[in-house]
Amino acid sequence: MSIKTLEIVRKRLEERPEELREARKKGQKVVGWTGYNVPEEIIHALGFIPVRIAVGGDDRLVEVGARYASSKTCVFIREIVGAFAENEDPYIQQTDFLAFDATCLQNYRAAEVIEYFFKKDVVVLAVPRNFAEDDAKTYFVHEANEFTRLLEERAGIALDPARLAESVALYNDIRKTLKSIYTFQAAKDNVISWEEVYDLIQAGELLDKHEYLSLLHQTLAELKERHHNPVIESDDGDSRIFISGSLIPRGDRKLISIINSVGGRIVGDDLWSGILPHLDLDIKEISPAGVALGYLNRTPHAALPYLNLESDRRLKKLHELLSQSKAQGVIYHTLRYCDPFTFKAKETKNVLAKSGIPLLEIHTEYAGSDYEAMKTRVEAFVEMIRIKSESVQEEAA
Amino acid sequence: MGKQLFRYSEENKERFLDSENITFNDGSVVTPEEIWHYLTVEAPVKYPSAFEINLYQGNRGSRDETLPTSLKTRYLGLTFSARMERAKDNGKSIAFIQGGQAVDPYTAADTIALRPGLVNQWNNGLEYGNDINKENLRRKKSKEKAFHDMSFEACQTGGYEHVQAGNLRIDVIAPYTVLRCSDVSYGVEAHRHGPNKDVKLLNVDFPLRNQADKPWAIEYFAKNLRRLVQTLDEVTGRTTTEGDLLQAIKLHNEGRRLGTELAELWWSADIPPTNSDDRASLVSLGNLETHGDVQASLSVLKEAKKFIAERVKNGVKGHAVIDNPKRLFILGSCVGINGSRSEDAGAIVVGRDDQWSHCSSLVEEEGDPYYNLAKTTLEYPYEQGIEKRAQWTIEQIKKSRADGVIFIHNWGCNTQAAISRPIVDIIKRETGIPTYIHERDLHGLRDEQEQNRVNAFIEML
Ligand code: SF4
Ligand code: SF4
Repeated sequence: MSIKTLEIVRKRLEERPEELREARKKGQKVVGWTGYNVPEEIIHALGFIPVRIAVGGDDRLVEVGARYASSKTCVFIREIVGAFAENEDPYIQQTDFLAFDATCLQNYRAAEVIEYFFKKDVVVLAVPRNFAEDDAKTYFVHEANEFTRLLEERAGIALDPARLAESVALYNDIRKTLKSIYTFQAAKDNVISWEEVYDLIQAGELLDKHEYLSLLHQTLAELKERHHNPVIESDDGDSRIFISGSLIPRGDRKLISIINSVGGRIVGDDLWSGILPHLDLDIKEISPAGVALGYLNRTPHAALPYLNLESDRRLKKLHELLSQSKAQGVIYHTLRYCDPFTFKAKETKNVLAKSGIPLLEIHTEYAGSDYEAMKTRVEAFVEMIRIKSESVQEEAA
Repeated sequence: MGKQLFRYSEENKERFLDSENITFNDGSVVTPEEIWHYLTVEAPVKYPSAFEINLYQGNRGSRDETLPTSLKTRYLGLTFSARMERAKDNGKSIAFIQGGQAVDPYTAADTIALRPGLVNQWNNGLEYGNDINKENLRRKKSKEKAFHDMSFEACQTGGYEHVQAGNLRIDVIAPYTVLRCSDVSYGVEAHRHGPNKDVKLLNVDFPLRNQADKPWAIEYFAKNLRRLVQTLDEVTGRTTTEGDLLQAIKLHNEGRRLGTELAELWWSADIPPTNSDDRASLVSLGNLETHGDVQASLSVLKEAKKFIAERVKNGVKGHAVIDNPKRLFILGSCVGINGSRSEDAGAIVVGRDDQWSHCSSLVEEEGDPYYNLAKTTLEYPYEQGIEKRAQWTIEQIKKSRADGVIFIHNWGCNTQAAISRPIVDIIKRETGIPTYIHERDLHGLRDEQEQNRVNAFIEML
């Protein structure tokens, strides 16, 4: 029996573009944002409606984007640029201005190209590469203040600390509730699938935040009603897959549907389009600086280089999530020309091999032409995991 | 039948012997006699590939026998590998850096700074006796290995494979993470999983987006420069002072000034005084890092300026330059077109943005040297946003009187590729000059197809 609230979420998503149009008629402004370190709470607290710019899976738009940003830019950014060129995406259409960050250089280049060709107003937040150093944090605080100033200019008001406190509390509550819901998807007798939770997380990138929080509470209540105490352990014959690597935005479900079609069960992810950005965000002070540092101190994005393998927090988090979800194998998704993740594929595989966790890298684009080839590889991997887990169970018996 | 090799003609020997010595960092000198002997006797045996007459020989600069400094840059190039080995034997510290950055802090800290191309050059020179085909095969094999260890979408691997295998004794990987580049900082990170635990790693964090006007960004980059110098000092065991940095800035400013003057002299001539490769090899001396020896570069540069001035005054034409060639300005990242083959097609390369951007950026000598260096670096025209960079490029195109512009980017160089179209768009709009964008294929092969396209563009001009 499916979760009823998820139906409501789907319906509300269908209605959302029209709602945004109406809100804009009443003078509200919509900010399209993208970037791992964009402090969304600040946008929200200034009275803007934040929507995340993240679309994928459309090879035609990738081609269009390549005309402006070259065919050597990552597939995701090409599609984003293509979407701005066509201006048919209902959310992109509603944006008054954009807020991008420079966590990934390609994201930054997208800002430049969109600004140049499509005359969009883009506010850019610079992000230090040496993010773990104290002077980098000081620099980032300055950048966050500057980012806030540029947003205030566009809002025509100054940021009110009380409003910021409200936004931070709201977002904290969203993150906390999402985390609770996420536990259910990995549990035995799962009453909600990872795929459903993933869609739910991405719905939050578009819906009104207050409404979204109440929908999350409703979802959680339904889940608790069915399953008081979710226990994470594998069901017989499960092939528990964890997805890592380049983001998988809305519109792109190729890999996910392949994993499902060959009987793999996804039980976790550390995608920046998934649960990762909602974890470990600790805002210690209600100010632009406090919010920005909360973001920077989270598990870092792969686009920010870190030079010590042993103390790499990204890998530590991956291990932690793998163990929490009791995943048996990782499918590491890399998009064409996504340097932050492709450069680390082999390293991640070697690191996980030491803990006995197999990793399969799937390097792909949004074209459908590699579907069968991907399916064959994923199928073999899922099967390998199943055999391995069955033999472990037999040994234990 | 053996390959046909190019030889320097004895006819020009006298004139060459009259030219000046090269003086190196360690105070040693090499005389023109020794250079001539090396180029005519030793080098053709050690490096037949460099003397092979072959369509794919990218560089013909060395063949302008009546331009002594051109032979000297060739000498410095061919002895590069042996000189780096010797420097290491003598305890000198060597750092890996990024293309397109100045090396003042490395000079101050008594460290040789090598960008990816030079790291490869060092490795290439370690094996003797190869012809061009064998050399290409060897390079490809080691690249395959590095691509396998890093990512096959890497534009280049910065000698990762050799550093990790211990074949190249590089002490520290410490490039600026400039905006131009999508790959180098990930390349630095890749070293963390290699077997060579002795090599130190540091990203000198270059913040993005119109940062030169932000005091906090300059401060931040200045702190990164201080950390860089500290890291270099940890390797050398010395203490680099602010005074050392100021001295290095002054030295490099002299190089930058001379390099700029030389380029402007070249542009002022009605008849191109050198071919494309000679121009590039002489102008790039201005950054003083090209040959892994700052003083050697400076001494050749000073002499080169005199020779070019003489040629311009007497209307002497460069080697193999045709009458009224079409003048090309090259944009993009870390790659260029094949100069000699483009000359055969009727063109000449009159400038590039890469390398030139920081050569033409002088550092203020009064005040805190770290702050000044940080400020200038953040102002590099090449590293600015689309509009600013395009405006600076247009100025260079006008100064060089270019007839056409080619934006070429390396395989896997996402950040340059991404803005190639807007940059040429602005140039076309504001100058009316024809432009062409070329994407180099995998592994950077200078293949027929690339040259055919370049030739078609030249023909169109
Ligand atoms: S992280 Fe990868 S997919 Fe995301 S913008 Fe950067 S290159 Fe593209
Ligand atoms: S070609 Fe591009 S990616 Fe490669 S080193 Fe140069 S700037 Fe970096």
